[in-house]
Amino acid sequence: MIDSNEVTGANILKGEDIHLSFDGVKALDGLDFSVKAGRIVSVIGPNGAGKTCLINCITGYYRPQQGRITFNRQDILHQRPHQIARLGISRTFQDPTTYPSMTALDILMAGRYIHTRATILDAMLFFGRSRREELESRQIVEEIIQFTQIEELRKVPVAAMSFGQRKQVEIARALVMQPTLIILDEPMSGLDEVMKEIITDLILNMFDRGMTIVLIEHDAQVVMEISHSIIVLDNGRRLTEGTPREISLDKRVAEAYLGL
Amino acid sequence: MRARGRRKTSYAADIAVIHSGRQWLTLAVFIGLLVVLPLVLNATHNLNWVTFLNFTLIIIIAVLGLNVTTGMTGQVSLGHSAFIMLGGYGLAMLTLKADWPFWAALAVSTLVTGLIALIVAIPAIRLKGFYVAVVTLAFFYIAQYVIRNLDITGGTFGLIGIPSPSIAGMSIKGDVRWYYLLLALTILCVLVSVNITRSRLGRSFLAVRDNDVATAALGVNVPLTKLRAFFVGSLFAALAGGLWASYVSVVRLDQFTIWDSIWYLGMIVIGGAGSTAGAIMGVIFLRLISQILHVIGTSDLIPLSSTVTIYSTQIIYGLVIILFITLKPMGMISIWQKFKINYKRWPFGV
Amino acid sequence: MDAATILLQLVLSGILVGGVYGLIGMGFVVTYRSANVFNLAYGQFVMFGAFIAWSFIGSPQEPRLPLPIALFLTLIAVILFGLAVEYLLFRRMIGRPMHATFILTLGIMALLHGAAMLIWGPGVHVLVETVPRGAIHLGSIVLSQEYVWSFFLAVIIALALALMFQRTRLGLAMRAAYDNQVAARCLGVSARMNAQITWAIAAVIATLGGILMGTVHGISTTLGELVMIVLAVVLIGGLDSLIGCVLGGLILAIGMNLSSYYLGPHLPGVEGIFSMALILIVLLVRPSGLMGTRPIERV
Repeated sequence: MIDSNEVTGANILKGEDIHLSFDGVKALDGLDFSVKAGRIVSVIGPNGAGKTCLINCITGYYRPQQGRITFNRQDILHQRPHQIARLGISRTFQDPTTYPSMTALDILMAGRYIHTRATILDAMLFFGRSRREELESRQIVEEIIQFTQIEELRKVPVAAMSFGQRKQVEIARALVMQPTLIILDEPMSGLDEVMKEIITDLILNMFDRGMTIVLIEHDAQVVMEISHSIIVLDNGRRLTEGTPREISLDKRVAEAYLGL
Repeated sequence: MRARGRRKTSYAADIAVIHSGRQWLTLAVFIGLLVVLPLVLNATHNLNWVTFLNFTLIIIIAVLGLNVTTGMTGQVSLGHSAFIMLGGYGLAMLTLKADWPFWAALAVSTLVTGLIALIVAIPAIRLKGFYVAVVTLAFFYIAQYVIRNLDITGGTFGLIGIPSPSIAGMSIKGDVRWYYLLLALTILCVLVSVNITRSRLGRSFLAVRDNDVATAALGVNVPLTKLRAFFVGSLFAALAGGLWASYVSVVRLDQFTIWDSIWYLGMIVIGGAGSTAGAIMGVIFLRLISQILHVIGTSDLIPLSSTVTIYSTQIIYGLVIILFITLKPMGMISIWQKFKINYKRWPFGV
Repeated sequence: MDAATILLQLVLSGILVGGVYGLIGMGFVVTYRSANVFNLAYGQFVMFGAFIAWSFIGSPQEPRLPLPIALFLTLIAVILFGLAVEYLLFRRMIGRPMHATFILTLGIMALLHGAAMLIWGPGVHVLVETVPRGAIHLGSIVLSQEYVWSFFLAVIIALALALMFQRTRLGLAMRAAYDNQVAARCLGVSARMNAQITWAIAAVIATLGGILMGTVHGISTTLGELVMIVLAVVLIGGLDSLIGCVLGGLILAIGMNLSSYYLGPHLPGVEGIFSMALILIVLLVRPSGLMGTRPIERV
């Protein structure tokens, strides 16, 4: 399902000297980071450290005033969100109530948008290309539905789902796009232990399939368990970077979190 | 339990509009009834009901378009009446001033209106929410002003003597023949509308309506999608406008008012925004209200002056819109779906 | 008259009318700011308020109540009207999508228009002389007294409103509600009272504006079409700015005067769509208006 990266270990995503400010307030202040292909990389940091800002910069929602971001050595800083999605980066949103009136099936089928070609005329006529693509997409969507275990949610509108179910659908939505890089923005916040377990397993399964995963998460235990490397942000800068073990021993990290 | 629910064995079956032999039968009977309807009304000398049906069909076509723009994509357009008007005037000018054959004129005026809608939508799509409504509202008044002040559009007098179409040498004249033409075209438009909802395009519309910010992350070009919604919606409108102009053989500015734009929005809300069946229900519901008031007003029982009828209709329309939005925001279609579920589960349902 | 005097005349009378437009626009801005409602029925509010006032005050042929009492009763009636609108309708719309609320205002617009047509008919109703009438001559410039009076009344009312928003606790609370409606609702009773006060104030401003307009032009259901003017005024000024409202009113009214005089002979009725064209230009060039703030989109 997922393109396996032959060059595992090479940097797939790289940012240099990213500056982002809103009306003079600095959100990212000369941030450098890199993500190696086929790894699980977590980004942690206290509230307001710039974690979500970073995601929004990578996915084209915010445009940094200065810096460079490359994906597969291609400049993505000047691309719009939908163009970046087409390059194979997909993301989830912190608030999973994105499409209240759509069913899980609708959302996942919509997630196949970049892989289908039907034009306005095709859509109006339906028979022909539109129908063929629908059936192909459905096949892949069903695969992801099984993979993410949301079979019962197919025809349930998001508004009628629990918070955890919405998070599951949100991840499934990012997966049907068949990305090479998936960015998860706090996939476990607000979930109970059982749901956390399910999502953790899901992330590990995604890794097994060769996907590169960037994880933003507050739950320190989960982050320490599953990440290959951790980037710590503080005040819009990279405080440090390392393996979970290195990070847990780093004094500066504790200081940033506890405000000592 | 009455119906046991059908097991669908393929994805093809799941996306089919009609799932079973029984549904085909119901549909055939329903269309059969629609075909026989004018003959019955004719026989009972209720010809004005056939006129009523014809206008209802025309409005269904128009509102299916608004259902794409507003219902599915969430772009509240107050300019729908103007797109209908452009379709009507386009057909009238091409047939009367340039002597084009009817069908060619209809096709071209529809497409041109679609292109004009794209231009109107450009300032609208950059902005959110009611800004779209304001831009389309301004467009409505500007379009009216231009038509009023041009010679080629006949100014305030409009254009008269618009020809009727003919099919295979048979000229479409008289209410009953028009009824069959409009019925056939309406069924086609309904099919197109349903096709849109079950395609990539329709889902991108729904996604933009529900959350345009997040939808960009799906790889959907949001501004382009909004443009598409305006384009497709105005195609329906212009088609309806052309048919309207030819059916009454006149186009005049006062046929296309801002109130009509409001009623079309109301029909969508009442029916259930985004649903094809809902849009049709909404049209029929509001049209029936006005027809019933009209019948009461012109009867000997409670004679009402035409102004009283007009403004009572306005009050009731307003009231119905208010009641649906506040109490039944998902529209008539949600009531129907609830009924269907309860019916299937009976006697175990709630 | 020479060209310069004509220009001055057009600008001065534009300013007088623009002040009243600005005042009327404030009622629209208030509900937009504190209730987050884009009220397209607002023109009908103006019309309805004016008719209610007319019912109490009466026409020159048939005066009813003395002016102060009539005005007092009118204010009570329209405050009740505003409260009813909030209680029955808009209270249910908190947290619902913006376009739903918007279409709701269209329904209200239809309802009020139809009702006014049935109750008062399409004719023009003349109001008892509330302010002195007649012409004022300033050199060769002629201004009508009722315009001058309504302008100054509008300015006084507008100043009072601005003071209320800037200086009182109530105004502060209403501005807070603009920032986040759902959060404001979580604060409970005060948010609810805010909404009630907002709608009452909007109804009062609409009515005062309606009376001032009615003093000049007479009262008829066409006052409802004022909503097109109001839209232009508030969009030029910036949807959430009271000062912008006044500015918008002045720009629009002067612009309409000038376009009517200089372009009218070539393009008949151009002042009617002048506001529409202006709306389009503003939305294309500066969507937040002259004085408005544009909130940052959060993902």
